[in-house]
Amino acid sequence: LRLSDASREKLAAEYALGTLRGRARERMRRRLREDDALARAVAAWEARLAPMTEAVKPVAPPARLWGRIEKELQFRQRRSLWKALGLIASGAAAALVVVALLLPLQRAGMPASYVAVLSDPKTNQPVLIATAQRNAMVLRVNTLDPKIHVAGRSLELWALPRGAQPRSLGVLAGERSDLKLVAVADRSLGDVPTLAISLEPPGGSPTGQPTGPVLYTGPCVKYW
Amino acid sequence: VAPPAQALDRLLARSALGDRRAFAELYQASAAQLFGVALRILRREDWAEEVLQECYVSVWRHAREYSAARAAPMTWMTSIVRNRCLDWLRRPNPEPLADEALEALESEAAGPLALLESGRDSAALARCLRGLEPKQRQAIALAFFDGLSHGELAQHLRQPLGTVKTWVRRGLARLRSCLETQ
Repeated sequence: LRLSDASREKLAAEYALGTLRGRARERMRRRLREDDALARAVAAWEARLAPMTEAVKPVAPPARLWGRIEKELQFRQRRSLWKALGLIASGAAAALVVVALLLPLQRAGMPASYVAVLSDPKTNQPVLIATAQRNAMVLRVNTLDPKIHVAGRSLELWALPRGAQPRSLGVLAGERSDLKLVAVADRSLGDVPTLAISLEPPGGSPTGQPTGPVLYTGPCVKYW
Repeated sequence: VAPPAQALDRLLARSALGDRRAFAELYQASAAQLFGVALRILRREDWAEEVLQECYVSVWRHAREYSAARAAPMTWMTSIVRNRCLDWLRRPNPEPLADEALEALESEAAGPLALLESGRDSAALARCLRGLEPKQRQAIALAFFDGLSHGELAQHLRQPLGTVKTWVRRGLARLRSCLETQ
């Protein structure tokens, strides 16, 4: 059932203000997941009313709260993200080797030195492969799932070096992109265990850091 | 003083990539403001603390879904907190606001609005709120700051339900057209 403009606006305003309650509120929640125009109307109302929160006096929460959050998220004992990715990588390692061998031999007639397989965390399906020769300044990106490209938005590829800020590797141009590296792969990917893709405005992130949702990540492995 | 939106953007983006240190910084930069919002709606420190814990866990888990194109980071997190507070008040064993608590709201509702004059966005909003009829303004402020439902508004303002609903609806419509001309 489609909403008229007037009822969409009214529902969005009341939801953002907080007066939509009970079953109407639950229906609204379900609807928001599917109705993008409604979600945008709510976001617009939240932005309009947002300055009102500045008028609420900040109150420091009890110091124990952060500890409780860390505990619930198991920050203390859980494996680090990098190790977790490493585990996924070892599970996928056999597949990766096969992929590396089956990849079309590149210019020099040699198999790729660096291979990254990025997958969708929701489905665990690989969506993209990036490869580079150790002495080349080109990262070749092949899309496995063409559905990942969306009209009007850009996909930007990031290197996540150990203990440093993400570095942009460039914006994907289509199903096959050759991204120019700032230095040969051994230097630009040598200390990069993970690559990630974020969804960005057309042309890429305006800030030099990921601004949109991070959609795909995967290990980047050096083979030789 | 609110941290700049761009700094929070980056902390959220880093959190989405699993960076715990960035998430800790995000918490440091935002917790007091969000705790203030939750405390104001829930009026009980233990509830506000519990809600905030849930909200930060949710922010960490859903940081990937945050889109800077759609909302400022603080707006996004505030909406998560406000929505969770309203859900909290709807739990099966509701402890409705006591009458005295409702009475106490009257004097406070004007307070936050006076504070709005400072920032630029907020000055526009304050101007537009001032342009509303006092009843509309009061109803909107009580709903936003204190999380009152239509029913609670009617009880507090001693007006029929239909009347307060109309105040809220017309007030919001006027607020929007006023903000569009600012």
